[in-house]
Amino acid sequence: MIRGPLRKAAACGLAGCHTCGRVAPVALGRCPRCDTRLHLRKPASVQRSLALMIAAAALYIPSHLLPVMTVVELGDVSHNTIISGMLQFWSDGAYPMAIVIFTASILIPFLKIVTLCWLCAAATGRVRPSPAMLGKMYWFTELLGRWSMVDIFVLGIVVSLMQLGNYMTITPGPGALAFAAVVVLTMFAAMSFEPRMLWDRLDELATAPDPNTSQPKS
Amino acid sequence: MSEEPLPPPAAVTPEFRAAQRWHIVWVVPLVALVLGAWLIYRNFAAQGPVATVRFDTADGIFAGKTEVRCRSVKVGVVRKVKLADDLKSVLTYLEFDSDAEHLLRSGTRFWVVKPRLSVTEFSGAETLITGAYIELDPGAAGGDAQSEFIGLETPSTTSRGVPGRRLVLTAEDAGSLSVGSPIYYRGFEVGRIEGRVLGEEGLKVTFAAFIGEEYSHLVTANTRFWNTSGIDISAGADGLKLRTPSFQAMLSGGVSFGVTVGDEAGKPATDGMTFTLYRDEDSARHSGFNPTLKFLLLFDQTVRGLTDKAPVEFRGIMIGRVADISFDLVPTAGDTRIPVLIAIDPALMRPESARDLTTTDSEFLKAAVGDGLRAALKTGSLITGTLFVDLDYYDDAAPAELGKSGEFTTIPTVSSGLAQLEAKLTAILDKIQALPIDQTMADIAAAAVEAKTTIVESRATLKEIETTAAAARKTLDDPAFRELPTDLRKTLEKLQKSVASIGPDGAVQGDLLRTLDELRASLRSLKAMTTTIEEKPNSLLFGRDSSGNPTPKAPRGGR
Repeated sequence: MIRGPLRKAAACGLAGCHTCGRVAPVALGRCPRCDTRLHLRKPASVQRSLALMIAAAALYIPSHLLPVMTVVELGDVSHNTIISGMLQFWSDGAYPMAIVIFTASILIPFLKIVTLCWLCAAATGRVRPSPAMLGKMYWFTELLGRWSMVDIFVLGIVVSLMQLGNYMTITPGPGALAFAAVVVLTMFAAMSFEPRMLWDRLDELATAPDPNTSQPKS
Repeated sequence: MSEEPLPPPAAVTPEFRAAQRWHIVWVVPLVALVLGAWLIYRNFAAQGPVATVRFDTADGIFAGKTEVRCRSVKVGVVRKVKLADDLKSVLTYLEFDSDAEHLLRSGTRFWVVKPRLSVTEFSGAETLITGAYIELDPGAAGGDAQSEFIGLETPSTTSRGVPGRRLVLTAEDAGSLSVGSPIYYRGFEVGRIEGRVLGEEGLKVTFAAFIGEEYSHLVTANTRFWNTSGIDISAGADGLKLRTPSFQAMLSGGVSFGVTVGDEAGKPATDGMTFTLYRDEDSARHSGFNPTLKFLLLFDQTVRGLTDKAPVEFRGIMIGRVADISFDLVPTAGDTRIPVLIAIDPALMRPESARDLTTTDSEFLKAAVGDGLRAALKTGSLITGTLFVDLDYYDDAAPAELGKSGEFTTIPTVSSGLAQLEAKLTAILDKIQALPIDQTMADIAAAAVEAKTTIVESRATLKEIETTAAAARKTLDDPAFRELPTDLRKTLEKLQKSVASIGPDGAVQGDLLRTLDELRASLRSLKAMTTTIEEKPNSLLFGRDSSGNPTPKAPRGGR
């Protein structure tokens, strides 16, 4: 048993393989089992997730401005954006439906982008929240991630079902593409984010002001 | 692999090296930005041109929904519908696809396609459920760009893109012709009326006609168009004529065209040529009439029944028309003759005559009048009482020559037609007058006297009969005569009683029966007596028992 503050694998020069999970000295360069490159931390994770986040944010705007769905009902063409659809449900009195759409399509992607950006900031030490806060935030992004695709799934089903020729046809609009891109990008962003960076930063703050000089000895 | 001896863990610090300034992942947000910008640009900024079209009403047009189509291909959408400032029309703002800019040029027409039901067409059925849309008919290629249009209220029946001849027809009266009415050539439908407008000052109705490309060669410079709408019943001198066009034309009107017999077809018509639309086939046929010579006829009779445009005929051949009937044509006051101005088209006469008849006082005409050429009014139809002017040679006409009245040359006239009829009637009346009516009346009077005597005599006879009848009545009225039936009845009753006494129950009958019985008994005894006497004549004296006849005895013992 090791006493005192737990020594981190990274501090011992050990890295877990990204693919097979084998722990190996990072000095080997490649995993002795599956020959994957070994990294102590995901390389450039903050940059990656930040870049993907910005991309998602960039597409978030058109995804709500452009129609996601074009309904041709008896020749009556209507273009629906996510917001107009939600407002339609709201004005029709289908409040739960409107709330679901608002949460899944508007709020969640937005919150996901915001929280990930905040986490990135925390990982680079720009904000210094409490560890508990960080834990909650990270859990929150994990939780949100699963629900972002609801809209796209619904749209996919509706579009494939509602092909009744002249009577009713639903076609996806450009907004759907943008929205799907937003969801996919946020997922990738979440994937490329390295949560260990958060804890590294925490340790760093707790032990020494300069991470480069603090070299815990075995 | 854990079995494998690991090298002693080296003290390694996680690499918190400053991240690379540039990482390939930054391409992703760049691409996303470009993509997002492009999507928004395409949806909003890259919208095509906007045109405003003015319609009377926005019936069936919805902002954001109603499409603009060109040959059923969507080229734009109604972005906004606004009431015009003068409140008399609506302005629709049409947003076109960016590639439809060239469609907005001068001559482009717009109209709303909605369900229309009329005799000639049932169109726009699909819009019953899909809603109306705005159809665009692009103007001729190369037209100037334009962004403000006035929409048509009625749809153009054929697109401008359809090849064919587009003509203008002017008529005095629209009749039952309407947009969509068919155009016939020899009863075969070759085109349609595409539009109609009231001409300036409301004097004429102008129709836009369309003839299909394959029939456009049929329309030539000398083609005449006429209205074949409805049923044409005309009572003319040659009887009753009933002409009906096709059923459709009967309901919706129609136009026919053709070249008048004998006319040259002329050069093929070009687009936009204007033709006169005649009221009917006859007026179209006579439309070639080009009067050049005008004469004044002075009639000393009524011209009732003579109308403007009444034919002027030479022995039945029409050579002109009545141009005017008015006292104003004669400058001299106090002339009670009726001036009738006729216009003659020499082209309708024989070519050599036409050549000679160049002026109104030509030698040819003078010679003709000298030979007895006169104008007369004749009855064209006894039913309608219409008159026409007839030019003919009259051998017995009083000598006359071409005259001059004001600016017009006059042709001498003779009374004819009704006037002649009048003369004949007078002659008949004269003859009636000449009959020995007085003598006849006297004879009739004598006969009447005779008849009177006869009547008196017969009246005396009647009186006698009357007297006899009175006497008869007197006899009948006598009371004795009246009791006659009563007496008669009494007698009959007595007779009945007598008969009853004789009947089976009567007293006489009983007596009679008894008498008869006694008589029968007497006769029987008499018979017996006679038999006895016959057998024994002496019995009369000696009685019956002393008869000598053996008395039959019964045989002894034997039985």
